Amino acid sequence: MSINTAKNSNLALCPKCHKLNTLRSYADKRGKIKCVRCYGMFYQRKPHSLQYTLAWNMAALIAFIPANLYPIMIIYSLGIGDPSTILSGIGQFVDQGLYPIAAIIFTASIIVPLLKIIGLFVLVYRAYTGIRLRPDKHSKFYHVLEFLGPWSMLDVFVVALLVAVVELGFVTSVAAGPAINYFTLTVIFTMIAANSFDPRLLWDKKNE
Amino acid sequence: MNGSNIDTKQLIACQQCDALYDKPELKQGQSVKCTRCGSTMAERKVDSIERSYHWSMAGIFLLVPAILLPIMGVTLAGQYHHASLLDCIIVLIERGYLMIAVLVFLFAIAVPVVRLLGSFYITYCFKFSKLKPSLLHFFRAFHYLDNWAMLNVFMLGIVVSMYKLIDDTELSVNMGLLAFILWLISSTMASVALDPDYIWQKLEDEFVD
Repeated sequence: MSINTAKNSNLALCPKCHKLNTLRSYADKRGKIKCVRCYGMFYQRKPHSLQYTLAWNMAALIAFIPANLYPIMIIYSLGIGDPSTILSGIGQFVDQGLYPIAAIIFTASIIVPLLKIIGLFVLVYRAYTGIRLRPDKHSKFYHVLEFLGPWSMLDVFVVALLVAVVELGFVTSVAAGPAINYFTLTVIFTMIAANSFDPRLLWDKKNE
Repeated sequence: MNGSNIDTKQLIACQQCDALYDKPELKQGQSVKCTRCGSTMAERKVDSIERSYHWSMAGIFLLVPAILLPIMGVTLAGQYHHASLLDCIIVLIERGYLMIAVLVFLFAIAVPVVRLLGSFYITYCFKFSKLKPSLLHFFRAFHYLDNWAMLNVFMLGIVVSMYKLIDDTELSVNMGLLAFILWLISSTMASVALDPDYIWQKLEDEFVD
């Protein structure tokens, strides 16, 4: 079964307004196209998509290490600080028997970032080499990764709320730890990495 | 094939896999799916302008209480303290967590507010037929914010932090939480009801060529 693609017909789809544009000979040398409908600049395929994805992904992986080693939150009660990392925070919920909440945080702050980073590495590798490439499965997988991305911000929002709400002077207060910055960077980097990946490359590779 | 003689108005391409099809005529409530990758290519939503207009108007009314009213408070050893969404940002700035403050502000306040005002403006122009060419640029800029509104994640954050607090302190829920939940619902409905395909088609018919 062969399906005609926009690229084969010398057409390019605007990513913002979904208008099909004809590729004209006067499009500039690097292939930048100006959409006839929304006047936005775009490319037929995101240029160097795999390299960008790889680079942002590496950055996310590097930021993920200090994000787990440093404390994310320090609870002061009567002047004594009690630091907790992401994992020890989950441990506290398990100790209290709040398994659903522990599972939600574990998914949002450990599983999702790791799954995104590893998943994007695999997608880049498959799209680059074309080894055992299944575009239908892989593009669905990509959409799951893309959808899950923002949910990792959960821990950052929780810490932000706790810092603001629990402010009872000497009795109890909450401070954010250095891990919060690294963790936020991890989330942002994985979101940019997922945005840089062009799922159409998977299909292009298969059709070659 | 020679690209120059193809009428692009009669064709539709899948955003996810680039497959090319003849463009079908869609009635309200119908959508087309790509046969190759299964993603939805185009959708004609029922009464999209009307519904999106009213949901975003509701969202704009709720925006101020949701941001300014205290969401929750704690009581411990006789002391009481509460915080609203805006207090979160102010406290974070005071304590020196600038990066977190900026990002929480962007994802939980700025982007959702701009998206809400944007969808209100665009549906207002459509509802009262005040179309102008600048809407083309406006609506393109609107799409840049698609992935960065995180109100729903913030909502889950509120729930999780309640569980964190409920054991050691006396937790009280304030009106801000109700306003925030309603704001979340109306801004989600406003963006779900919005039909970008229809808006682009209409703007194109009006102002391009």
